[in-house]
Amino acid sequence: MEGATRAVVGVFSYLDDTVKGIKRIQSTGLNYRVYSPTPLPELEELTFPQKSPVRIVSLIGAITGLAFGWGLAIWCSLDLPLRTSAKDIVSVPAFFVPGYECTILFGGLSTLFAMLYFCRLPTLFAAGYDPRFSNDKFGIVVECGGNQADDVKRKLLESGADDVDVREGL
Amino acid sequence: MKTEHEHHRQKLDDVTYGEVNSTVLKMLEPPGAGWYVLLGSCLSLLAIGASCWFYQMYAGFGESGKSHPIGWGTYITNFVFWVGIAHSGTLISAVLYLFRAYFRQPIYRLAEAMTVFAVMTAGLFPIIHLGRPWMALWLIPYPNERALWPNFRSPLLWDVFAVSTYFTISATFFFVGLIPDIAAARDQAKTPFRKLLYSVTSLGWRGSHAQWKHYTSAYLIFAAFAAPLVVSVHSVVSWDFAMSIVPGWHATIFPPYFVAGAIFSGVAMVISLAIPLRKAFNLHRLITPFHFDAMSKLILLTSGVVTYSYLTEFYVAWFSNNPYERYQFWFRPFGELWIAFWGMTFCNCIFPQLLWFKGLRTNIAFLFVLSIFINIGMWLERFNIIFQSLTVEYIPAAWGGYNFSWIEVGITIGAFGWFGMWMTLFIKFFPSVAIAEIKEVLPPPVRHADAHGHH
Repeated sequence: MEGATRAVVGVFSYLDDTVKGIKRIQSTGLNYRVYSPTPLPELEELTFPQKSPVRIVSLIGAITGLAFGWGLAIWCSLDLPLRTSAKDIVSVPAFFVPGYECTILFGGLSTLFAMLYFCRLPTLFAAGYDPRFSNDKFGIVVECGGNQADDVKRKLLESGADDVDVREGL
Repeated sequence: MKTEHEHHRQKLDDVTYGEVNSTVLKMLEPPGAGWYVLLGSCLSLLAIGASCWFYQMYAGFGESGKSHPIGWGTYITNFVFWVGIAHSGTLISAVLYLFRAYFRQPIYRLAEAMTVFAVMTAGLFPIIHLGRPWMALWLIPYPNERALWPNFRSPLLWDVFAVSTYFTISATFFFVGLIPDIAAARDQAKTPFRKLLYSVTSLGWRGSHAQWKHYTSAYLIFAAFAAPLVVSVHSVVSWDFAMSIVPGWHATIFPPYFVAGAIFSGVAMVISLAIPLRKAFNLHRLITPFHFDAMSKLILLTSGVVTYSYLTEFYVAWFSNNPYERYQFWFRPFGELWIAFWGMTFCNCIFPQLLWFKGLRTNIAFLFVLSIFINIGMWLERFNIIFQSLTVEYIPAAWGGYNFSWIEVGITIGAFGWFGMWMTLFIKFFPSVAIAEIKEVLPPPVRHADAHGHH
């Protein structure tokens, strides 16, 4: 059917052609995704200039870890108040170590989970993906209606795509 | 004039993206006889170690040779040795990433793998050293019917937090860095087993612009978390000694001394691993003499810090006017165990000075030999710290010798087998050179360069 969603997949060998293609697709207002074998600042500036929210989750995780590490050490020491070498029961210098380590542990783990969440990992399917994108090719995958596919295909070819494939569905 | 993006991109002899993929993924092809021989050797050493450990559990901890006064012998020496080896991986992958030292790209994956497997090796030793390894559970603060909690003021418990945090964060950093490269391996996999293995472990990564954005943000945060771990974890390990009152241990120099020593031995171990790997898999265009030159300079720097630390220990012992401290530092070079001291001094302080000569910094054969000597020297350093100090503690009534036993020799060898086994398996099943990150520092392919040769 003409109106059904299509995925138009453009495969590029060169970065500057890919950048040209992205600018042309951005002018159409259609949803698109760019694949590359490595992160490149030229692509990032065009496609995702804002900061990632992963850092917020990391900060929350780290603060939680700090509270947990200190809290654990203090609570356990008060629950079983052993007097060792005339040190205070709540030994602030000593408890820096578990507090600090738990800060890093919780911060790191929350960064991992945030990254997996925002990257939508694990995932089974990615529309329009070509195995060459992890090697030496760049890809632009555009979601459009059936009646727009030809126009999108033409724009990608004019930008310098090696080949453009129109696939059913996304 | 170069843009900021171009500034960090380096030419690796005109290597292309495709060449990086093909060179690194070629390493994952079905192994030859040499790999099986290596794996078999590692498994044999591991079997020796495991047998010795089981015998120790059966016959009693005394079989290991540990007794009064040297209660911390080879096992704690090995523990500190392996934790030290582990630190360099995090330094190379995290700290050098933060400092934008892009020479790290081809070697950091190997270094990170070394970190994770070295921490796994190190973590065995406190458990072996317990004698009754099932008691290891008591180190963890869990609610129990004895109403007991561990002592949070003890450096031994700080070790539990530090080393387990270090393992978790290192393994996470390692795995996250691997994801895009496993995806590259998935896309070129030829057998159903490898296709399945890489599909599962890559978590479906595709390298979309949004994924790369969140990935690079997370990677930077991991590096920022891991970098202070390099300093803190080995400082905590050093406090196992420095928080005591044993002559030769109770010194404030210990944290920086241990951290510098850890980086020193770790970089040497990276060289020991990188040279055979480079030769076996023909990685000369990716791991170049430039990279060895950079690692040699790190070794020279850390050798200098370690030498300074040794001199500081001697100076402070003399300056303190403490007779027990002064005697300890006379005993180390001139007592019964003098050979360990001078062996350490030669391997760590004297031999590495040859790296002042640029020709030797890029001489692969020399670097391989030097790296082995450095690791021997660093093992001897921990031996010196533990054995020498415990042999002649305070008054002569507390002095004593040590009976080395075949059990602890077997377990020490077994630890090398355990580490070697994991490294051997890793290099054959997962990309041991970072594909995506090397591409990140290569000039990207462009159709039209401008008049100044910029992209």
